[in-house]
Amino acid sequence: MKNLSDEFVWKALKEGDLKAFSILYKTYHPKLYNYGLKISGNIPLTEDTLQDFFIYVYEHRENLSNLDSIAPYLFSSYRRHLLRTLKKISKIVSFDEMDVKIIDLQFTPEEILTHQESETFKDKNISILLNKLPKRQKEAIYLKYYSGLNTNDIANIMEVNYQSAANTIHKAIKNLREEVSILELLNS
Amino acid sequence: MAKKNYNTIEDFLLDESFNNWSKENRLTDVDFWDEWIAYNPEKKEVVNEAKDIILGIQFKHTEPSKEKTTADWAVLENILKAKNIEKQKKQAPNYFRFIGIAASILLLVSLGMYTLTGNSTKVIYKTAFGEVLNLKLKDGSLVTLNSNSSMYYYENNNRKVWLKGEAFFEVDKKETTNAKFWVITDDLNIEVYGTSFNVDTKHEKTAVFLEEGRIWLALKNGTTKKMIPGNYLSYSAKENKVLDEKNNLNSHLKTSWKNGSIIFDELLLKYAIKKIEETYGVKAVFKDEESKYKIITGAVPITNLDICLKAIEKSVSVHIQKVNNQLIIKNRTEN
Repeated sequence: MKNLSDEFVWKALKEGDLKAFSILYKTYHPKLYNYGLKISGNIPLTEDTLQDFFIYVYEHRENLSNLDSIAPYLFSSYRRHLLRTLKKISKIVSFDEMDVKIIDLQFTPEEILTHQESETFKDKNISILLNKLPKRQKEAIYLKYYSGLNTNDIANIMEVNYQSAANTIHKAIKNLREEVSILELLNS
Repeated sequence: MAKKNYNTIEDFLLDESFNNWSKENRLTDVDFWDEWIAYNPEKKEVVNEAKDIILGIQFKHTEPSKEKTTADWAVLENILKAKNIEKQKKQAPNYFRFIGIAASILLLVSLGMYTLTGNSTKVIYKTAFGEVLNLKLKDGSLVTLNSNSSMYYYENNNRKVWLKGEAFFEVDKKETTNAKFWVITDDLNIEVYGTSFNVDTKHEKTAVFLEEGRIWLALKNGTTKKMIPGNYLSYSAKENKVLDEKNNLNSHLKTSWKNGSIIFDELLLKYAIKKIEETYGVKAVFKDEESKYKIITGAVPITNLDICLKAIEKSVSVHIQKVNNQLIIKNRTEN
């Protein structure tokens, strides 16, 4: 929601205005769809849970507390909503660290731009390297560089503190750099 | 920037000039950091790591298409509409219910005035500029009275109302008695069963927009017209003709005011300002032609002029000066 009259769309939305809600939907639907699909790997499941989720958001629009935190609110609530559904389907009973086990993003070469800004990652098979990373690091990388969220938001979504989210991102990049240097050693 | 100590990776990441160097954004920063690295070779590894964190990985965006999102929204919109109607039906019937419009905005409520005429009491509702009133009539029908409007009926029959200005009606159907509901304006009479529709009598004409159900119009020239949902008709008794007739009009544009906002959908500013003039009872003057033809999209509140003007200023880059009841609109050049 980039326009400056957002505040008023926001107010209209809080009043239940469907036109205002459609702006929110059209802004976040594509991003959440992609995120959901990355987590579940299942198109019908992603679509169903996403529609259910938006009905929930509309009916609980009093939870939408402020405009700045809308992205992390939507990402984290949808993530939770999707995980709940996935748990039901897979009939897993233990809830401990469940998301760590379930969320395992996979990347394909088609998803990575061939032109990488960093010298380190230029002309490397980045998707293979990404897939080797621990699960949480993969998710943090996705949220930061694909969804464009800041570290604070990522911490909220992944339900950890700021420092832990920052460390996860740093470690992921560090790991990628190490993998790249190993590859270069092997190829020389 | 040279006086700082750079030890941990965060020290680099939070430094603006370091970010500029990583992205090769500013020549002075680039020069500074190239030199700094040459003098601090032991920091090379952490510097490169920080640079890679800043630059990150570039992904291709593989989100669903706009068409897909629009199609999914259409499905969801219908579900939400159905749910809203269900909810309204469940709401407890109060005698007169006043609903606050546009949360946190102070709402001045005009109270009904009672005057005695004959055997029955005349109940009158009036709104000032920038004020919207939500009413629930005795029979369960809902009326939202827009700003600078008035409506009255006789207490012994609230299913016949006289309207000046603009109102949105959600009429409760009387299944058992099949009793009709009437809205009477200077130009026409509207005969209603159970339905929701908008009536606007500003500009010496009456414009009716039907959202749901069926209504019959009895124009003052004696002809009758049946309307189906999505139909829009405006008629002037003075000119004795139908001015405008449309099918399938987007209902949000005609009725968004009842939810506390006016929604502009790619509208020229001069038309948007007309709407503001009507709503708040102000007069606007454009200082230049360019401002008139700016295009505005978004929602503005109808009960708070100051916030409303700020929103317009920000979204179409004009400057609006308010002097008493006059708005002076000037183009704002960006520099």
